[in-house]
This record gives sequence, C-alpha cells and structure tokens, in this order.
Amino acid sequence: MSGRLDRIGLLAVPALGFLAVVYALPLAMLLAKSVQGPDGFSLAEYRAFFADEYNLRVLFRTLRVAALTTALAFVIAYPTAFAMSRAKGIWLTVFLVALVLPMSLGVVVKAFAWSILFRANGVLNSALMGLGLTERPVRMLFTETALVVGAANVFLPFMVLPIYSVIRQLDARLPEAAASLGATPWFRFTRVTLPLTLPGVVAGSAFVFSLAVSMYVIPSLIVGERQQNLSMLIARSFLFLRNEALGSTLAAILLAIAIAVVLGSGWAAARLGARR
Amino acid sequence: MIQTTGFSRRRFLRTTGAAAAASFAAPALLRAQTSEIVIGCAGSHSAWMEEIVAPHMKSAIGADILFEGTKSSVNLEKMASNKDKPYLSVVQMDDPVMIQAVEADLLAPITPEAVPNMADLRPDAVHMEGMWCNYVQPWAGIAYNSDFLPEGVPAWEALWAPESKGQVIIPSLQNTEGAWTLFAAAMLATGKPFSEAQYEIDAAFAKLEALKPNLLSVYSTMSQAFNLLEQGEITMLAGNFSSYTLPRKAEGVPVDLAAPKEGIFAMPSGICLVKGGPNPELAQAYVNEMLGPDMQAAVADFAASVPANTTVKAGAAIPDGVEIHSPDWAFVAANRRAWIDRFDKLMAL
Repeated sequence: MSGRLDRIGLLAVPALGFLAVVYALPLAMLLAKSVQGPDGFSLAEYRAFFADEYNLRVLFRTLRVAALTTALAFVIAYPTAFAMSRAKGIWLTVFLVALVLPMSLGVVVKAFAWSILFRANGVLNSALMGLGLTERPVRMLFTETALVVGAANVFLPFMVLPIYSVIRQLDARLPEAAASLGATPWFRFTRVTLPLTLPGVVAGSAFVFSLAVSMYVIPSLIVGERQQNLSMLIARSFLFLRNEALGSTLAAILLAIAIAVVLGSGWAAARLGARR
Repeated sequence: MIQTTGFSRRRFLRTTGAAAAASFAAPALLRAQTSEIVIGCAGSHSAWMEEIVAPHMKSAIGADILFEGTKSSVNLEKMASNKDKPYLSVVQMDDPVMIQAVEADLLAPITPEAVPNMADLRPDAVHMEGMWCNYVQPWAGIAYNSDFLPEGVPAWEALWAPESKGQVIIPSLQNTEGAWTLFAAAMLATGKPFSEAQYEIDAAFAKLEALKPNLLSVYSTMSQAFNLLEQGEITMLAGNFSSYTLPRKAEGVPVDLAAPKEGIFAMPSGICLVKGGPNPELAQAYVNEMLGPDMQAAVADFAASVPANTTVKAGAAIPDGVEIHSPDWAFVAANRRAWIDRFDKLMAL
C-alpha cells in the first residue's frame, strides 16, 4: 500500500521540478541579494528600510488595503456562496459564469471602466446628486476607497469559490437539528453554520489577502504614484532606481508577509478542523 | 485482452525527451536563420511603429520587426539584464537613459559607414560620438482640455492657479517627461533663465510642493491620465508632447497642446544599436532607414514631431515666439535616481 502511495507521490515530481526551476531558484537568488553587502553578509538594507518613515507608511498602507479588500470581498462573497450552494441547474451555471467570466477581462480594461464609474460626472456621482445625497461631485477617483472596491471586484472569485466548496459539503441536517432543539436563526447561524464554514472563509481570506498585498497593476492604474504600495516600491527599485539590493529586500519583506498569511491560515484551518 | 502497441516506456520517454529538446531549441535555431529583429521602443510609439515603420522595414530591408513598447527605464533594464546574451537589436529610448546605457557599456556605436543617413542629421542629433542619435523630436508643453479652457494655457504658472484645484495631473519623474514640470518649477521659483534654473533643484522641489493641492494624481502610465483629460475629469496634463496630443486633437478630441510663454521642451527621442545584439547588419539597416528621408517624413508627420534629418521638410511646426529648452541630460542622468526618490516622498499622500 505504502509502495503504491510512494509511486503516486511521484506524480507530483513534474510540478515540484517546475516550481523549483521557475520559482524557488530565482527567488533564492533574489533573496541572497538582499543580504549581500560589499563585505559579505549584511542586513544593512533591512535596517535602512525600517529606518525610513516613508517605507513604513508604504508597508502599513499595503497591509491596510489588503485587509480592507479581504474584508469587503468576504462581505460580498459569503452570502453569494450560500446562494450558489442553493442554486441548481441553469442558475448554478449562471452564477459560475458570472463569477468566472469577468476574470477573462484584463485589469486594464476594468480600470478604464471604473474611471467611468468613479469620475466626477460618472454614474455613481450622477446617482448621488440625482438622489439629492450630495450637492457637488464626491471625489472617488484616485482614492483608497476606489482601490479597495476595484481590488475586491477582481479578487472576488478567490473568496467565493473556497467558501462555496465548504458550504456544499455542509450537512444541512445540523442547523435543522439545532432548530429542533429551539435554537433561534441567529443562534443557528453564529453557533452552527458560521463555525462549520470558517475553513472556507480562512482559505478564501488567505487567497485574497495574498493577492491584494502583492498587487501591482491595480493600484498603479487606480491610485497612481501618490499612494505607492510594496509592489510598486519593488518595481521602482529595480526599474528606476536600479537598486537591486533594495528591490530584493522589499521582495523578501513581501514574501515574509505572504508566508505569515499562509502559515497563519493553515494553522487556523487546522484548529477549526479539529474543533469540528 | 489488452493489445500492446509496441511502444515501450523507454521509447516513449526517449521520444518525448527528444521532442521537448527540439521544442526548446527550435525558436533559437529558427530565429538565427530569419530576418526577425526585436526593437525596444516607447509604449506610446506603438501606433506609428506598427502602422508606418513595420510595413516600411519589411519592404525596404526585408526585416520582420517585433516591437516591445515600454518605458525607457524598462528598456534599459532589459538590456542590462540580458547583457551577456542580448535579444534586442535596436532600442529607441530617451537621452538621459541613453547616457546610463553608455555608462553600462550596453551600446554599440553608430557609424556613417554602416548608417550612411547619419551624415544628413543635425549635428546636435548625434551624441557621444555616435553612441546614439535623435531620430525625431516631439515638443512638450501643457496638454489641456479645450472645452474647459478655450483660451488655452498661457504660462506654466497656470498649473499652480487656485482655480485649478484637483484639476491637474503631472508625470512621475520615473517618466522622462516628468522632468519638464520640475524644470518649469525651477524657472518659476528662481526667476532665472532655463540655462541656470535647471540646476536649482531644491527651489524646484519647493515649488512642486506648492502644486500638491492642484494635483488629482501623478501618473507613470500616461494613457490613463490622458483619457481623464479627454473626459474633462482634469483640465491640464503637464509635460505632454506633440506626438501624443496633436494627433488626438486632429481626430477631433477636445484637447490641445499649449506652448507656455516661459518655453517648451524638446523631447529627447533617441535610437541606438544594442552591443552584441542579434542580426547586427539588419539592425544597422533598420537604423539607417529610421534616419532616412522616407521614414523621417512619415514618422514626423504621423507623430507631429520635428525630423532630425536636415533634408526633410515635414512634421510638427514649432510654435513661434517661445524658446525651446533642452536640458543638461548628463546632469539629469547623474541625479535622476535621487530625484525620483525625493519626488515620490514629496508627492505621497
């Protein structure tokens, strides 16, 4: 049996080899540059990064935008995933197509579409003024709000699908059992349904946070150069400042954040699984 | 009953291995035998590169041209990263980046023997003993929405006017055209002529800080900023150039390019040969055609630019009565990285 398992394990070799060549190797070379000083090993670039107030502001902004994007995506995705789990036949197809099809549209095209939505004489401002909620246009373009809305829009499928897959496996008899014992709808949701779907929420949040914390094109197009994030700083370091050590250091910091999120979510998913 | 095919596992592995090796090797082998050359150029040049240059090069020198349109600094990074095995044959990028490329030993000199049309260029279009040449030069001023500013933009100071609050976008210093706002700020802050003001960078940054209330954004991707200008979301786009604004105006879009009274700037569009680049003879022929009268006239007309070839009478008319400034690019190249860092921190929200 174990011999058969070992042989099946060999099926992962192409993927591992691929990742080793195109991901691990260049990443290791990149990270090595971040600790390479003129006289050998050095953490000078890390000290310089954390000593610069501007860099800390960029780091904080990157984390804040990623957290807000994840939160917004969750708020939209959770009820959507429930609706999908109840849908059947053509409606389920409609849900899946509506979710996946926009992914084929490039971010650049979406960014131009958002500018139509968010501009002073755009759809949103026209609606707000038409309803009498504001007298003059509210500035929406080049704001963090626009960035969070845009990023949540792009990354939404990565939150919906993991939650949907967990909800589909949910034993519908458990909330019914709670109801038969007199539990209110709110109690059933908070004590039965929500805890059982949390592994999907954790997985979706890890996906969306990891994507949002490292996004480059979306903030470049939506908020421009005045609100840089870590990825924009990395691009600037390599392409414009031509400072490989700084770029590698920033990449290492971004990687550390991503690893922390993956490990943290794995730990949370394991704990939640154990509790179930 | 299972039929055997006579196709053993070992033979299968051998066949697929050979096929994989052939797949990897094929592009390099084929490229070595073809007339294909890869040209690095500005992203905003893609329209005329595809419409004018590619068909001409196919018929004139038999070259199949592949373009990679991006920023000058990205082209420089591509050249530097592939220095040992360059894949670009020719790069068209801005003068300050050309200086960095020369310092990094990435360019091969252009000579009149290999590129005869070089002899017809204006003397100031040939740099560092032929390391690169300017092919066409657009002029830069302030692009504006003519529906909202029907009177135009008389002076660079208009960018700072209180009524322009939130109505202005400027280029990042990561973009070459970002330098124009910096130098205009230097002239306004010091009151000195351009030749002296361009070195007063502290005064320029202090003046730029006063521009912040009027800024809707700072761009590094120009097309989106220009789109906002066309839509009337902003009224002025600083540092824009004739090769972009004037063709849009000709298409009926409500935009125009102002030549402010303090002066306009000459965009430094250069062309160079990549050292050790593939197909060197074809690359030289390409450069020769780009500097020749046919291409010079066609590109200058299409992109509303000033030709560098003295035998050509075509292209953009330089506005009368305003000075054309051309900065000390060596000074820019030496300080640009520090300026980008300072600019980004100054403009950050």
